[in-house]
Amino acid sequence: MADIRIDVRYETCPVPLVEMRKAVRRAEPGDIIEIAGTHPASQKEIPMAVEALGLELLAVEGTPDAWTIRIRR
Amino acid sequence: MNQDSIYLDNAAATRMDERVIEAMLPYMTEKYAVATSQFGYSLGLASKEALDGARAILAGRLGAEPEEFVFTSGSAESSNMAIKGVGMALGEKKGRHIISTAIEDFPVLHSARSLERQGFTVDHVRLDEHGRVDLEHLQELIRPDTVLVTIQAANQEIGTLQDLDAIGAICRERDVLLHSDATYSFGRVPLDVVQTPVDLVSVSAHLLHGPKGIGGLYIRKGTPLIKWMDGGFQEFNLRGGVENIADAVGFAKAVELITPKETQRLQEMRDRLMAILLEIPQSRVNGHPEHRLPHNANVSFRYVEGESVLLHLDLRGFAVSTGSACFSRSLEGSHVILGIGGNHERAHGSIRFTFGRYNKPEDVDQVAEALADIVVRLREISPLGKE
Repeated sequence: MADIRIDVRYETCPVPLVEMRKAVRRAEPGDIIEIAGTHPASQKEIPMAVEALGLELLAVEGTPDAWTIRIRR
Repeated sequence: MNQDSIYLDNAAATRMDERVIEAMLPYMTEKYAVATSQFGYSLGLASKEALDGARAILAGRLGAEPEEFVFTSGSAESSNMAIKGVGMALGEKKGRHIISTAIEDFPVLHSARSLERQGFTVDHVRLDEHGRVDLEHLQELIRPDTVLVTIQAANQEIGTLQDLDAIGAICRERDVLLHSDATYSFGRVPLDVVQTPVDLVSVSAHLLHGPKGIGGLYIRKGTPLIKWMDGGFQEFNLRGGVENIADAVGFAKAVELITPKETQRLQEMRDRLMAILLEIPQSRVNGHPEHRLPHNANVSFRYVEGESVLLHLDLRGFAVSTGSACFSRSLEGSHVILGIGGNHERAHGSIRFTFGRYNKPEDVDQVAEALADIVVRLREISPLGKE
């Protein structure tokens, strides 16, 4: 179960990353954030941001056109 | 995200200098009275002296007389006051034609647009690829009904400096008033209104490690202008309302603290950053290579979007800026890059770095290292250039 869910399907760069950043800001340490999107570049860009923030990447699932990313703050 | 960000957005706002705050504090505590005339009480006289002293320092920095400098709430108000004020003062008497550029900052662009809605015509003078005004075209555009030319001293994004001496000489010869938005250059690039034939100049404190919410307008003696703000008779009867003495004192102190030596230090950091960034393949400088603000670097990287670079730099603790304007969920490319003939990709790909007093030489190395990594990784995943 995710604590915060973000739906950025049909949004393109940089909106998915912007929404992810907002979610991370409001999440508590340990919270799980689930992001659903359809923009292929964002599927790769979000893990890059997760790494920069030192967060835990739990899963990248789906295809480049329909993906779900789960991260833990 | 990072509380210890390396701040490289000093053309947006600057950290206030402690010495400025120290100078302002007494005018919020023990010297809080409204500035009064010679017939008022002593506490008010002290406030009046402080206001006059601040005005003299700021006017002096422009080579102006104190009574030619009016305090405002910032350069946005100053530009509104200048452009609309001249438009309204001369619209009936002389004409309704204004000349400007497409790359002005929003206060100028939108003030001119506001006059357009009231029946004025606004022409934009041609610019070269670096954003400098085509002087011959300016000559051609001036008409008998031209009431004002408004051209910035320095560009807010790409840092290009205009040749105000030449622009002013043309305006003077053709008997047209010249306003210049000097928000981004004031204090860092000398401007003397005795040498340079400019009639109105907008300035602000917030980019000089001074307070937000205070600016000024230089108004050459005899320049026709309507009263901007009805109220009392403050600011030479041009702007009614109780004067903001603490901020005025802070503005003057901030300007006093700016020295050529400090500006030189900022320029050295800027030059080094630009040299390192240009080693990244497919990068280019935006703005004039020589005639530019000493503390501004603006670089575009092909195949990556500036907004993405900004976000990734932020996640790593760096604050920079792009020229894009965000409206809801859509991003408009930089009107400045588009205005100098740049394409959509370049308009979305420019990153602005602006240095201030609190930057250190190591900031250059750290941001350059982070940026090189981000650009390489974003290019690997970018759809741009692969279509």
